[in-house]
Formats: sequence, structure tokens, C-alpha cells
Amino acid sequence: MRDSCRLIVVGATLLGCGGSDPVATRGLAQDAGAAETGGPRDTSGTLLSDASDASPQDASVPPPADAPGTAPARDAAPQDVGSQARALSLAAQVGRDLFFDATLSASGAMSCSTCHDPAHAYGPPNGLAVQLGGVQGDQAGTRAVPSLRYKEFTPPYADLLDNPDGVSVPGPGGGYTWDGRAATLADQAKIPLLSSFEMANASPADVVAKIKAGSYASLFQQAFGADAFNDADAAFNDAAAALQAFQDDDVSFHPFSSKFDLYAGNKIGGSLTAAETRGFKVFVDPSTGNCAACHYQGAGLNGSSALFTDFSFEAISLPRNAAIPANADPTFIDMGVCGPTRTDHLPADAGAPDAFCGMFKTPTLRNVATRTAFFHNGVIHSLEQAIRFYNTRDTAPELWYPTIGGTPKATTDPGFPTYGLVTTQYVGGTVQKFDDLPAAYLTNIDPQLPLDGRAAGSAPPMTDQDVADLICFLGTLSDDYQPPATPPTSGACVN
Amino acid sequence: MNLNRLKSVPVLLGLIAAFTHCSGDDNGATNNGPDGSPGTDAPSSEGDGTTPTDASGNVDGGMMASDSGDAGSQPTTVKGVVASVAFVPGSATEPTIAPGYYKGATVCVDANGNGKCDTGETQTTTDAMGKFSLALPAPAALIADIGTSATNTASNATNPSRNVFRASVEQVTEQSGAVVLSALSTEVVRLTEANGTGYAAEKPNLATRVTAGTVQVGPDQVLSDFNALTGMTQRALLREANILTGRFAYAITKLDRGDLYPDALAVPGGDPELTGLSGVTAGTATTTETRHAITFLQAEQAAFNVEAIPRYDHIFIVMLENKSTQAILNSAFAPKINAYLAAGNQAISYYATGNPSEPNYTALGGGDDFGIADDSQWNCDAMGANAVQDTPVPDNTQPGLASSPFAATCTQAVGTNHNIVGKKNLFNAITASGMSWRTYSESMNPGQDFRTDSVADPAVTAPDHVYAPGTVGGNAATIGNPGLVVPLPASLYKTKHHPGMAYQNVRSAPEFKYSNRTLGGGQWDSALKNTTKYTIPAGYDYDQLGTDLASGDVGELNFVMPDQCDDMHGITVNGTLSSDAGAGPTAASDCGSVANNVPVATGGAIITRGDNYVDALVKKIQASNLWKNPQEKIAIVLMFDEGNATSGFNSCCGWKASKSATSNPLVQSGSTWSVDNSNANYTQGNQGHGMSVFGILTNQAAAPKGIVDSDSYSHFSFVRTLEDMFMLADPANDASYANRAKYTEKFIAQNILNLPEFAASADTHYDAVRPMNHAFVIPASYAAKQTADDSRTPQTGPDAKQTNVWATK
Repeated sequence: MRDSCRLIVVGATLLGCGGSDPVATRGLAQDAGAAETGGPRDTSGTLLSDASDASPQDASVPPPADAPGTAPARDAAPQDVGSQARALSLAAQVGRDLFFDATLSASGAMSCSTCHDPAHAYGPPNGLAVQLGGVQGDQAGTRAVPSLRYKEFTPPYADLLDNPDGVSVPGPGGGYTWDGRAATLADQAKIPLLSSFEMANASPADVVAKIKAGSYASLFQQAFGADAFNDADAAFNDAAAALQAFQDDDVSFHPFSSKFDLYAGNKIGGSLTAAETRGFKVFVDPSTGNCAACHYQGAGLNGSSALFTDFSFEAISLPRNAAIPANADPTFIDMGVCGPTRTDHLPADAGAPDAFCGMFKTPTLRNVATRTAFFHNGVIHSLEQAIRFYNTRDTAPELWYPTIGGTPKATTDPGFPTYGLVTTQYVGGTVQKFDDLPAAYLTNIDPQLPLDGRAAGSAPPMTDQDVADLICFLGTLSDDYQPPATPPTSGACVN
Repeated sequence: MNLNRLKSVPVLLGLIAAFTHCSGDDNGATNNGPDGSPGTDAPSSEGDGTTPTDASGNVDGGMMASDSGDAGSQPTTVKGVVASVAFVPGSATEPTIAPGYYKGATVCVDANGNGKCDTGETQTTTDAMGKFSLALPAPAALIADIGTSATNTASNATNPSRNVFRASVEQVTEQSGAVVLSALSTEVVRLTEANGTGYAAEKPNLATRVTAGTVQVGPDQVLSDFNALTGMTQRALLREANILTGRFAYAITKLDRGDLYPDALAVPGGDPELTGLSGVTAGTATTTETRHAITFLQAEQAAFNVEAIPRYDHIFIVMLENKSTQAILNSAFAPKINAYLAAGNQAISYYATGNPSEPNYTALGGGDDFGIADDSQWNCDAMGANAVQDTPVPDNTQPGLASSPFAATCTQAVGTNHNIVGKKNLFNAITASGMSWRTYSESMNPGQDFRTDSVADPAVTAPDHVYAPGTVGGNAATIGNPGLVVPLPASLYKTKHHPGMAYQNVRSAPEFKYSNRTLGGGQWDSALKNTTKYTIPAGYDYDQLGTDLASGDVGELNFVMPDQCDDMHGITVNGTLSSDAGAGPTAASDCGSVANNVPVATGGAIITRGDNYVDALVKKIQASNLWKNPQEKIAIVLMFDEGNATSGFNSCCGWKASKSATSNPLVQSGSTWSVDNSNANYTQGNQGHGMSVFGILTNQAAAPKGIVDSDSYSHFSFVRTLEDMFMLADPANDASYANRAKYTEKFIAQNILNLPEFAASADTHYDAVRPMNHAFVIPASYAAKQTADDSRTPQTGPDAKQTNVWATK
């Protein structure tokens, strides 16, 4: 039986987001090889001719209506052989306009793309643990922003979802947001539109009124009917469906243009380096990294493969993040599937047994190296730190959780790690391990490698070399990879 | 290309019926003058009541120009017939093959051996009854040059493509004034040339080949006029003659169009057409083209060795489930399978093409999964042109199917069509060539519809399997509980594990019901008679495979599907303890699933269960007279539908080679290929699921053993191999291969603009389909690609031996 999964959390639900340019760079995937293929065709066989884009093979996002013509085409990536691009459906075209429309927020300054920035793999453009939003753009969210890439294969949440590996026992899995409470991308899209600390619309009707007044109102009616605006609730559902259609249809949400894709697809330029190859072994090795147990890269559901997630939920009990304003309230504990944001798996009473408490969704690791806020609460800010957390949460918990009652050393001992969240070395005191999960739910914590609960002070599962190699491998999961003309023979991640 | 597919002529059925009263099984039909009515030169129209004996070209001794006793040295007039067969489509049981003669065929002494009756070669033309008479200075070998103006009286149709039949001088001498030129006589000549033997050896060999079970074909019958035979003997000969007719017609097609010899993908080293071809990885395309136009004699042999895949008479493909190479190879839980792998031949770089089961079985049935990426029912999202045509569907509203679990409608969010309409597949191709297929499935409910999964039946119980210490990977303690009573669980038989089920044209085929059969050896077999779920059909055979092995009534193509416990898949099977009824459900000892890539050290009892089942199955086949008949070439394949592929290369060889590019299927119009965009979800399919073991056992004593082929192969390669093995396709015609089985390296290169997923390949050999013939020689510096879950060190360079794993001698 394959180990069921632990969670490496790398993003968060769409929560407050703000401060960034709502029309940040939207360089979107261009499928360079399409020109060799006779041009992409839509599913009906019609050769694409998107008048809005001079490049017929590029069915990606054109500029939003409020910034016409500003979208720079990315350099053609030679690995993008052929084209998965197809003409966006009318609904998807509406979704594209919605996605980049900052007028859909109460502040007038926030669009979907503000937090889900196409220039950052549809993830956050900065390293904030949580983003700012709301009517005034000053309300903080409670979870880190996840990437919207590679979501299309995610099934709706189920307590006993079949694992995509086809073998692991069924368990909590699927759904959108960190707690899986949205069944579809359309359902998910409604959340930030109405959240008081995100786009902060007062109601569905509020959103629909803005769409109706917007520049693409007629396109909306073209897609959903001349009377589409007559019923605000129906129109809101249409808008959500349009946002899903955009994410489903547009290749920029699933470009599969990483070095790993070249490797796994047997393409020129896809040879992994020695370091990357070692890192891949660490990734899959059940006795060291064991990342693949949850960040499953094999063949999965509905023809998916190499998604680097099995959609499962696990509790790994990250350190509480004081940078989240909501955490100033000690009674606020985000426990994922069991609430409080999600409400259908709440414990009967505080502390009552509930196997779902502390569980968050396994995100894809694609583009993980481009992030600077990791896990559901954004407490980790670098990829190395995330891996180090997995490696030493148990063997050196003092690096990750606060120590109470100890005496700080003025100078740390030589060799005291600096990669942890805690860089102060204490003499004495008690480490507050698992400080963001009530004691009643510690038994929910996944016991598998590399977080196998080994004793503090014992050897961690991965060596420093393993960690370095793993970072190199994870670097191959970043999209838009362009192989160098001459492969380097030295440097990081080569030998 | 199905060269032997002839028009159906209703009158033929009457003709066959007329034969059944004939006494052609007696020995008097050939050498000496018959006791029956003398041959008549008066043509009689088919089906007019003239007995076949009358029409069979029997010797009229009075017309012999010479004494048959010393015919070898005297001028002689050779008389005889050119006998034909015609396949009549539509049989709901065995293939219908009608006998007849060729009218208007040229019979001659092919003095220059070019496979044609040339001007200047002594010749004559057959009459309306297929008869000829040829004056020769001495008995000589004859050929019948059957052109496209000849008429096959078995179908009353003109001959679709030129064919040549031969008879050796020994046969001409032996049959004296009643020479029967047929595909069978030709085969004897071909065998003598292939084996360096003689007529005296190969004539009885051919008779032995056709003899099976209760069907006896004597050496004196095998080259007689099968029009004069009756019953099972005639049927067996007609069936073989039909297959041979197709083979020989194909040989002449190759000869006449000037094919190079051997086939491109059979050239030792690799396909020479690729060398210098643009869009092909140069490092694996290094074979120099040295081939020449095929000769007549080469063509005769090549037609039995398409792309270097020899003709087999029967193949049994044993399908096991979900175990990667790592889980099986050298596993202490599977010692018997490992012994068979070592004793036979192996393909060690064999890849699944999809995930989970249904796409893999569908790909095995027809070389594509068509975007199916789940195990859902075959009617799911079958809309419009894909609408299910087997109406009514076998749901529980149908008479006798009250226990059917089939859902009449199925709609899924993904919307992928699961009913494949109008696509090529092995089953239809086998049938259309006058051959038979079988699927043998274990643990079905007696009386159930084959198109539905089996259901649980509490009335059918069996004791738990008990394993003594040392029988499950070195277990120290007994595994299993003799007091555990286990009722028949649901889903032991699953339609997702039927390689023809997704194909509408297979389910709708007249022979579908006849060809789906039971497989014995199951844990619950002896209790199935207690079933409460369906009415047990009269004469229900709980082990049709066993029966068929005894009678010889197996198919040419046989898929053997153990149930979901015996195939290592694993399902939940619980029983109750007879000693403690209150104990609640207790799991059976050996049907819990284990991971596809379970490490050897923690392998489960289910692997041993499957190992034991395979062992019993192989022994059963090997104990049959069928297997022991050396003149019938028989192979057993032991394989898994899919592996694990959690990392590294998921697949090869016709796989979906890119996630960023969509390649839709190609359709041929005239000489060009275009893209078929009609399947919106096609891109979800064919993504592979890693490597698993693939073993071949044959009944040929002289066949090479212990051969390991490490070239890359996939289910698509295997489909192509089977198409070659049974001559269901023609390497000169890409379109003749099923779906992605046509994706050879050359085909991909030629169609790369329409196959963008294959563009920018780092290794076009790896991406492409080829038959499993071991012709390609891996370059010295080439490191094998493999699924990363395979713990073997990747091989660098060529294999120790390049011997074909299908070689029969």
C-alpha cells in the first residue's frame, strides 16, 4: 500500500490580496510549435483565426479590455511543440474579461489577476503570507494564495476520494481552496468576489451590476443570452461559469512547458542533469523525500498525469503564523477541512474528536520554485525552507516552533542552522511543537516520511545533499523553460 | 488488407448444407478411381443438387494418358482442379467458409519459377468447374495462376487479387489424374522450402496441423478435394485453406507490387528507410538500405512472417492486473511467473498505454484508448454518432436480467465518450479474415450478460484460501483461515477488463455472444451452481476454456481474463467465520489489493494467488493436445494491463508524447492524412502507466528460449504484432493498421505536421510503434529509458542476442 499522503502546502485559498498592479504582466503562453503544425484547430476542426491576436496559434489571454494591446507575447518556447491552444469559447472570452476586470471589486483596484498573477503562474506576485483586499484594500486574508494552474483535473471534494494512484486507500481529497469546500472552479470563483477581505462585493447582484455596466456586457449577453442580466443570481452563476471556462480553455492555465515536461515527454532539451536526476530520486524515494506519496506525479484521474498532487488532504501542523492578523486572536485556529471557514465538518464541540481537523489540501508542486509564500498560512518563504521544514520538523522542532521558558543564547553555536523560522538558540525551555493545532487533533497528523515523528535530535531523513538535489529537481517544474543552446557543464544543479 | 474477404452469396449456404450428406471422409477420394459416379465434364451450376463428389475433379481413370505406376518418366496428361474457398461473413458461431473452384485460372508448369504462367510455359485454363487438363512430357510441379479475371465459384465472384497455388511434382505424381491445386497444396510446397524437408514429411505435417480434438484429418485427406469432404474434417480444412488463401494472395500482392524484402521494420538493425530521413533521430537510424525487390519464393515465405512476426495458429494472452516490473520480477511472491519468464522469452521494456484499466484493455483491443481515462461503463457519454446501438442495453429491466447492475444511462462531468463506434479493432479484423476470437473470463455469474459486471451472490460461498508456511513469499505463519466462509463478491468479472467491450462493432458482432466464454479455476466455481442471481442456461459450461482446449475449439486470438482476485487486481472480499458468526466481516486471505509497485519485501498474498492461478492456467494449456501438437504454433503471453509509472517515462511507442500539444487522430482521405477533431476529449488518453513484465511461452520445441528483448514496446506495438501475426494488416499500407498501431517512426515523421505531440522528440525511435520482432539493434551508447520505479540499472547498448522473441525455430 502506498503511503498515504502528507501535505506540502504551497499556496492558499484566494484570500485578501491587494497592492499589486491589477494589470501586471500577462505574458501568456505562446505555442511556438504550432506554426509547424498547420495551425491549431478548435474542436470542430475550424482553423483558428482569432482576430484579436495576430498570432493564430496563440489562443491565450489577450490583454484585458482596460489595457488593450499591452500584453507582451512571451518568447516562443521551443518545447511548446504543437499547440493545445484552441479558440476560446464565448463563455471563456467573457471569463477572460472578468478575470482581469478590477472594476469587479469594491475597491476598484482588485481583479482576480491581482492575486492570481499570470506572470507568477497565476499565483501571488509577492511574498506576503496573506494578501490585502476589501473595500479599502486594507483587509488581510487568512490564507496564502494558491496558483490557479493545473486545476482542471481536480475532482469535487469527497471524504473518501479514490486516490489517483489507483491503489492508496480512499481518503479526504478533491475540491477547491485549501479546505476543498468549493466543488468546481465556478464555485470557487464566487468566493473571492463576495469575500469581505477580497473583492468585497456586497452581493451577487452587485457583481452583476458591474458586469452589466462594463465594456463586455454585450459579449456576456452574446454568451449567455440577451436576457442574461434579467436574473441577477443566474447572471452571477453565468459569470462564475465563464471564469471556469476561461481557466479550463486557456492554455496559459495548463501550459505544461517546464523542463520536466520536456523530460517526461522525451523532448529535445529535456535531459535532466545529474543533480536533477538525484533530486528526482529523493522526490520519489519512500525512505527519504517521499514527496511523491502526496505530490503524486504519476498517471492520475481522467487522463491526468504529472500533476504533482493527488488532491488529498493531510495534517502536518505548520507553525502558527503571527504575520496573519487573524491569528492575533488566540481562539482563531484555521483547521482546514474541519473549519472554521469550511462548515460541514465542524467538530461537534470544541475539541470533540474530528479526524478532519488540521487537514489542508495537497497543492501541485508545479511552479513551486517561483513562489515566495508556502503552505496554507504562508509561514514559510522559500523553497529550501519548506523542504527543511519537512526534513527537520521532528528532528529539530526548535527551528520551527517557538520555545517558551528558555534562555536565548547571545551567540548561537557554530553549526546552528539558520534556515529555520526560529534563528535564536535557547538553553532550556519547552518547544511549543504543533502550536497551531489543538492537542485533541494531534493524532490527525500524518505520520509518514519525511514527517514520521522521529525523535528530536535524531538524524533527519534527508541529507543536505538530498535537500540541495531536491531543490534542483523542483526547479524543473517551472513553466516556460527554454533549454540553453549549450548545456552548462558546471554551476548549480548541474553535476 | 483483407485479401480473402469475399462476397457473401446466399446460395453457398445451401451448397454447404448439401455437402453434409457426402461421404468424403472415406479414403477413396483421391488416388484411385472413385467408387461413386465418375467425374463429369459437364459443368453443373452451384447448388443444383449435383453432389460435390461429382464436382470434385475425381479421377476418371479411363482418361489417364499414362499409367500412374510409372508416371514419373512418361508423357502424361495431368488432370485436376483448382479448389477455392470463400469466406461468408455474418456467422454467429464459427466462420462460414464455402468451398468451390476457380474458373478461368491458368494452370501451368512455372518453368522459370517466377510465380506466373508466362507465355511459352505449357498452360491451360480451368473450366467452369475448375477443372483442367494439361499434357506434359512428364509429371511436373504445377502452379495455378489465378488472375483477377478468374471466378471463384464458392462466392460466384471474380477473384479480387491475383493469387498463385502450387502443387509439387510429388503431389502431381501421387494424385495422378486428379491433382488438387489449392492453398493447402501450396502450403505443403512452402513448408518444404521453409524447412528444407520434403513432400513426404510436410503433407502429414499439414494434416496434423489441422487435426484437433475430435477433428481428424488424415494425410490422405489433407490435399484431397475438400469439396468432396464433409463434416468437421471439411470444416477444418476449409478454415485453414481460407487462412492460407489470404496469405498466398498477400504473397502475390507483395511480389506484383515489387515490395522490397524483407519488410522495412524487419530489417536487422532497424528500418533502413529512416536513415537520412528528416525529423528522425539520427543516432538510432543508421541502417543502410540494401534490400532488393522480393522474389516469388521470398514472397511465399514473407506472407507468413509479416514484419518478421511469424504466423501463430493460436495465441493465449493472459491478462494480469496492475503490477509494475518491480513488483513481479524476482519477487518471492511470484516464483512461478518468474520461472515462466525465465523459461520463455521476454520483452523487458514493455509499457502500458493508459490508466487505469479500461483504456489499457481498449488499447489492447484496437490500438487506442480514444481518450477514455477511467473504468466507467461502456455506455457513458455515448451521444450522437457514438450512441449505443445495442438496444436494449442489458439493464435490470430486461427479461432474465433482474440482477443486472448495469445503469441504463451514464453521464460524467468529463463527458468522454466510452462507446467506440466504427474504429478498427483486432476482433472485427480476426472475424473478417475468417478466423475466430475468444475472450475467456473467470467468475461470471452463470446466466449474466457479458456486457455487465458480475454481482455478489450470498448463495455462492467458498472456503478461504489457506497458505501453509513458506508458500507466500516465505511466510512463517499460515495465511488464511479454513473456517472462513466467503460469499461470492461483486465485480469479480468486470467489463472494463474486456479488450473488446468498448467497441460497438465488437458488441454488435454476430459472434459476440458465442465468443465470450467462461474460464474455470475460480475459487467459487464449484458453488456457482447455487446461484440465485440469474437463471443458469441449459448446459452451462463453467470452464469453457477447458472444454475448448480438449476439443481444439479455441480461437486464433484468445484473451484470457482471470477474475479480480486471480489477476492480482484485488477487491474487498469478506467472509464470516464458521466458528464465530458474530465476529463480523473478516477479510479473505488473498484478495486485498496491494500497490502496483509493491516492493518485494512487503508483497501481498494476492500476488501469490495470481502466481498460483497463472501457473495452473499455463499448465492446463500446456497439458492440452492442442499445445502438444507441434504442427500448430501456439503461444502464451503473460502480461499486465498496466504498471505503476509514478515517475520517469509513463509510456512509449505511440504514446501521447506531449502534454502541451494535442494530437488528434488522423484519418485518411485518398493518399493523404488529415486530422480528425471529432473527439473532444481525445487528448486525455494514451498517457501510459509504466512498465510491466511481458513473457512469451511457445509450444515449439525448437524455438529459441531465454531471449530478452529490451527494445521499447507498448500495447500499440503488441497490437501491431498481433496484426502481423494474423496478417490482419499490410506494412505497405499504414491505414491497414488499427489506430495508433500505425504510428511507426516513418509514419510519424511523414505526418509530423498533423502530429504535433511528437514534434521536437529527443528520441523518435522511442516514441514510435514497431512490431515486437527484435530487429532494431540498440546503439552501443544508447541508455535505455525506463519508468523510474523500475529499480533495474538501465541497460546501455544492444541486447546480448538479437533473436526474435516470437521465433519458432
